[in-house]
Amino acid sequence: MMKIKKQSVIFGGLILVLFAIGAFFLHQESHAGNPMPAPPLKTVAIDSTKCIAPTEYMRANHMRVLNEWRNSSVREGNRIHLAPNGSKFQKSLNTCLGCHGSNRLFCFNCHMYANVKPKCWNCHLSPMETP
Amino acid sequence: MMNEQRREFIRKAGFGVLAGLGVAAGIVPGYSLEKTVLPAWDEKPVAGKIRWGMLIDTRKCKEGCQQCVAVCHHEHNVPDFGNRKDEVKWIWKSPYEKVFPTATQQFKSKELSERSCLALCNHCAESPCTRACPTEATFKRWDGIVAMDYHRCIGCRFCMAACPYGSRSFNWQDPRTAIKEASTSYPTREQGVVEKCNFCSDRLVKGLQPACVETCPEHALTFGDLNDPKSDIRMLLETNTTMQRKPELGTKPSVFYII
Repeated sequence: MMKIKKQSVIFGGLILVLFAIGAFFLHQESHAGNPMPAPPLKTVAIDSTKCIAPTEYMRANHMRVLNEWRNSSVREGNRIHLAPNGSKFQKSLNTCLGCHGSNRLFCFNCHMYANVKPKCWNCHLSPMETP
Repeated sequence: MMNEQRREFIRKAGFGVLAGLGVAAGIVPGYSLEKTVLPAWDEKPVAGKIRWGMLIDTRKCKEGCQQCVAVCHHEHNVPDFGNRKDEVKWIWKSPYEKVFPTATQQFKSKELSERSCLALCNHCAESPCTRACPTEATFKRWDGIVAMDYHRCIGCRFCMAACPYGSRSFNWQDPRTAIKEASTSYPTREQGVVEKCNFCSDRLVKGLQPACVETCPEHALTFGDLNDPKSDIRMLLETNTTMQRKPELGTKPSVFYII
């Protein structure tokens, strides 16, 4: 009687172990079957249909945003801006000017009024110069 | 008595192993084995993974053809002042003995001594210009490109003195006055900054080949990743005898030549 009980424990345990090993390998297999996730895209299409931040914030901080974009995209190659709402933008002046460039005086009006002379347009094409 | 204890221990150890296997198999959720999602990692490129390089077949390069030079200089708004003193160049053609001054010049064939070779920034792996730059305006990029950050350049021209290939030009005057047909695909520079070939990093980011490679009618230029043994450029390097400019300086140029 005692012997049978012991045997059932041993065989029960063995079956459990086999099941566990089988499950383990099955699990591995299902992992190997999946293709590797695609490498993250380094760029996103220029999307100028929506603003990257609220107007109030941009009015006060656009120069900081542009400086941050310039440094991280030119020096680190991190060209994607992730907005808090999850949408992605390409870190490029063209992203801004794709929409704001429609008003040719968009930058100049305010800069003239505030008497600030940013150096952007020494090299970059301003909305005044683009056709 | 002793025996009973040992049996108890073995039994408990067995259950422990089972539980461990269960965790590994994912039956029991094991948080220490949580999968990592790759795209959730930072989207910054990994340094050293890619090393862009170019192979120029000087045999195919036609005498008198300046197409790549014209296209590059137009695309990147390189000014043309029309005199040597103010000259700005990203890519240009020079006689063989000027491009390879330290290669053997004795008993060259007539054809070779008359041949002109394409020269551009070598995007050296051991770039002397980036070491000379006091503001880190020129720097080694993650993909092997020696890049210029024109925003930071103070115009000291140390990099021009350091470059053994004359690949860098200085804007002595406002370049905008000397651009005949402005291109909207790339910004201009301003007076007082150094400029040079950027291996078309502006086009690479769009998934395009460099302008010179794309435009060459003879397909004399090959562009690719030197770190990838299966790339076209590595295949050609494997099957041809190639040269670099002034290899004895140890700058490890990324531009190779078939003579």
